Amino acid sequence: MKIAISLLLMSAYLPAMDVVAMPGQSPLIQFRIVFRAGSANDPKGKAGAAALTASMLTGGGTKTMTYQQVLDAVYPMAARLSDQVDKEMIVFSGATHVENLEGFYGILRDALLTPGWREDDLKRVRDDLKNAVRLSLRENNDEELGKEVLYSLLYKGHPYEHLSLGNLTAIDALSMADLQAFYKAHLNKANLTIGIAGNYPKDFVERMRRDFSALPKGKPSTVKLPPLAPLKTTQVTIVQKKTRAVAYSLGFLIDVTRNHPDFPALLLANTWFGPHRSSGGNLYQRMREIRGLNYGDYSYIEYFPNGMFQFEPDPNLFRRSQIFQIWIRPVEPPTAHFALRLSLFELERLLGKGITEADFEATRDFLALNVNLLMKTKSAELGYAIDSKAYGIPEYTSYLQAALKKLKHEDVQKAIRKHLRKDRLQIVAITDNAEDLKKQLLADAPSPMKYNASKPGDILEEDKIVSTKKLGWKPEQITIVPLDQVFQ
Amino acid sequence: MRRPFFAFLLATTMLTAAEPRKIFDYPYQQHDFPNGLRLFTVPTDYPNIVALYIIVNVGSRNEVEAGKSGFAHFFEHVMFRGTKKNPPQKWEATMKAAGAATNAFTSDDLTAYHATFSKPGLASILELEADRFQNLDYSEALFRTEALAVNGEYNKNSTAPTSKLSEKLRDTAFDAHTYKHTTMGFLADIKSMPDQYAYSRQFFDRFYRPEYTSILVVGDIKPDEVKALVEKHWGGWKRGNYAAAIPAEPPQTGERKGHVDWPVPTLPWLAVAYKVPAYTDSGKDTAALDLISALAFGSTSPAYQRLVIQEQKVDVLSGGAAARVDPYLFTVFSRVKADKDVDSIAESIVSTLNGFKDTLADTKKLDAVKKNLRYRFALSMDNSEAIAGALASAIALRRSPETLNRLYAMYEQITPEDLRDAARKYFVENGRAVVTLSGPKTK
Repeated sequence: MKIAISLLLMSAYLPAMDVVAMPGQSPLIQFRIVFRAGSANDPKGKAGAAALTASMLTGGGTKTMTYQQVLDAVYPMAARLSDQVDKEMIVFSGATHVENLEGFYGILRDALLTPGWREDDLKRVRDDLKNAVRLSLRENNDEELGKEVLYSLLYKGHPYEHLSLGNLTAIDALSMADLQAFYKAHLNKANLTIGIAGNYPKDFVERMRRDFSALPKGKPSTVKLPPLAPLKTTQVTIVQKKTRAVAYSLGFLIDVTRNHPDFPALLLANTWFGPHRSSGGNLYQRMREIRGLNYGDYSYIEYFPNGMFQFEPDPNLFRRSQIFQIWIRPVEPPTAHFALRLSLFELERLLGKGITEADFEATRDFLALNVNLLMKTKSAELGYAIDSKAYGIPEYTSYLQAALKKLKHEDVQKAIRKHLRKDRLQIVAITDNAEDLKKQLLADAPSPMKYNASKPGDILEEDKIVSTKKLGWKPEQITIVPLDQVFQ
Repeated sequence: MRRPFFAFLLATTMLTAAEPRKIFDYPYQQHDFPNGLRLFTVPTDYPNIVALYIIVNVGSRNEVEAGKSGFAHFFEHVMFRGTKKNPPQKWEATMKAAGAATNAFTSDDLTAYHATFSKPGLASILELEADRFQNLDYSEALFRTEALAVNGEYNKNSTAPTSKLSEKLRDTAFDAHTYKHTTMGFLADIKSMPDQYAYSRQFFDRFYRPEYTSILVVGDIKPDEVKALVEKHWGGWKRGNYAAAIPAEPPQTGERKGHVDWPVPTLPWLAVAYKVPAYTDSGKDTAALDLISALAFGSTSPAYQRLVIQEQKVDVLSGGAAARVDPYLFTVFSRVKADKDVDSIAESIVSTLNGFKDTLADTKKLDAVKKNLRYRFALSMDNSEAIAGALASAIALRRSPETLNRLYAMYEQITPEDLRDAARKYFVENGRAVVTLSGPKTK
């Protein structure tokens, strides 16, 4: 009894850091160590400070171990420590079998609390980060490139503007002192949430609290987000790149984040219009399934990076501002004009008609069940729980299911009209024929579709409307950007 | 609450038990129906969720006819074009009502259709899927449209240099066997797909048959109920009689080289590959080659330490033999930071593998790799969908999860001498193909 009381007293003196603990039966122990700071905190001219700091912690040695020694130690456990850096969250995640908990935790703790800051590690992780921006994004992945360019254009002059990974020139210029300064300023107790799940020992959470209390107390890193005015007119940015096809991303800022009262309604509308990598969405059906324009077409109301590699979004991408986005997978150059017109036509139709009562009901029932799949791993469940704290909402599945129960068809129709729009869009295209595309868009001439098979009459009729749809854009609305200037 | 798997893991240890336990120890059931269809049911303790995989043992390996490369993958698309009873809209609606996430994929040796959903949807989904596997019916117009989506898929893949590197490597290393082409297929064949309607009907008739198909149901399920549902909806499916005559690859007679000129600036890529035997869980080859790949190029290997961490000449270094039904390749991929280093990195890779012919591997290091493989498997099995995914690959190879247990048991038996023997046998110049890729500025 005495022991229990003294433990209780001890914990009363421990710092009040946020902990999300999910004890369970699984022998797989999941960690998510989250700091409420990110690339929005990159100092001026140092875009990439957050990302490179995080890379140094997970891709470098500790004070007592070289990086190679770290790799040697974790290898037999098959454990891994990784980082994810977004605008306002940095997360260090890892998993280990409970049999290796002691060994793995020691490394995780030292990596985060006593980093090695070695110059040879910095040289390597800097190369890795630059290659992630230059090769993996800019030169080898037109679709992710289009999305990130879209984000950076919509957030001009805003802390969200620059790529979370950083810009090439800035990454090159970052010094060890810059990284240490970022670490000291932002990886503090005020920003920290510790997440752990699995069959860990009873006193483990207290131990983590004690260990992580070595971080400076600090203050919250939340930056002031200036209000952003919508664009005055639609803007088209064409990135010129040697590539086979034409990839599009387009969208606009919205006021809705996960804690907004209209979030469930807008999520439902989006789940009908363009659910991620699902063949059931309206855009997918109209563009790919009926017309064979490309491999898929989707829409988003929350940031979803790496969508071409995964089906569920990663958690811990908390943002206080989001955009509505349409992703059109690469289309053949001769159909590029038509495909863009069709996507705008579908967006206008969504705004004009909304969704039917029957579609509302089917989508509502689908979402109420499908949200369970987001939590299929403990790591995801942990991530969502941490996000819910950040957004100030209850546990995500119950929050959404309860909201869906109350939701009416009219709420969705209203949310569509209130938060979506068909004009003042930012459009991004990645193509080899930038000048051609610009000319076509400015000429605004009909772009009739030719099919390799017969189509139903109603589709051909609709095509007449789509292919002659006037866009009315002027030369000053269309900009061509050479690839090597992007994220430079 | 039932917790057999977790309870077992907690009661014993992964590695220190006198006799290592089976790597896949879920209490699964296998049921063979008279028509050749095979059902696996795997109850797990992840509540409410069910993962369904329907695996057809057909892939790009079966594409033996000229001009038909990429057809297995294309057909995977066509399978979403509906039946008389369940046109695509109805199929979507049924899946939506179950809250399901659905997709499909194709590789060299398999085509898999999967859905993950809440358990009340199981009966309706098993019925729905039975209908399309037996009664697929699509118009030529829809077929032609779907061919365009495959072209779109090729387009989106084409921006990654690794796609082209793999394409070139297969084309360089193989002459006769269908592994010569990728699962996407040759571009010329993709372009002609819209005209292959009649062939597509034949393809369905040949391969979408019960003897080629396994159904895998994992999650919050009762095996008897699943069996009864499968019996009811899939029991009447008629067996086929087709087998593709897949040409054997003739022995290679000398080292082969290939190069890809990439139109966009990139760091150069390098692939060094050796011909190796087909996947086996009864002989030592597969297990020995897997262990060599980890010892030679894993994150704790001397080569990784030197090239990635100390000299920092490459930022990607990984290798291994992909498990395939027929003899395939042991490939080491690397992205090199400077064009001038490509040749010396290729030499380093070759000499690293040659090193295994003369020097016996350190037993401590070998033991660390064996531990890594077991823990990596355990860590990956963290939800019903992941368990089903891991089993799907096993079923593609041997139509049984037991192959996993046999392979992991084989890992435990492999000695440094076995590694030496495998290296001497397979890392020979006559079996080697080296393919490079470089952009305009780095040439």
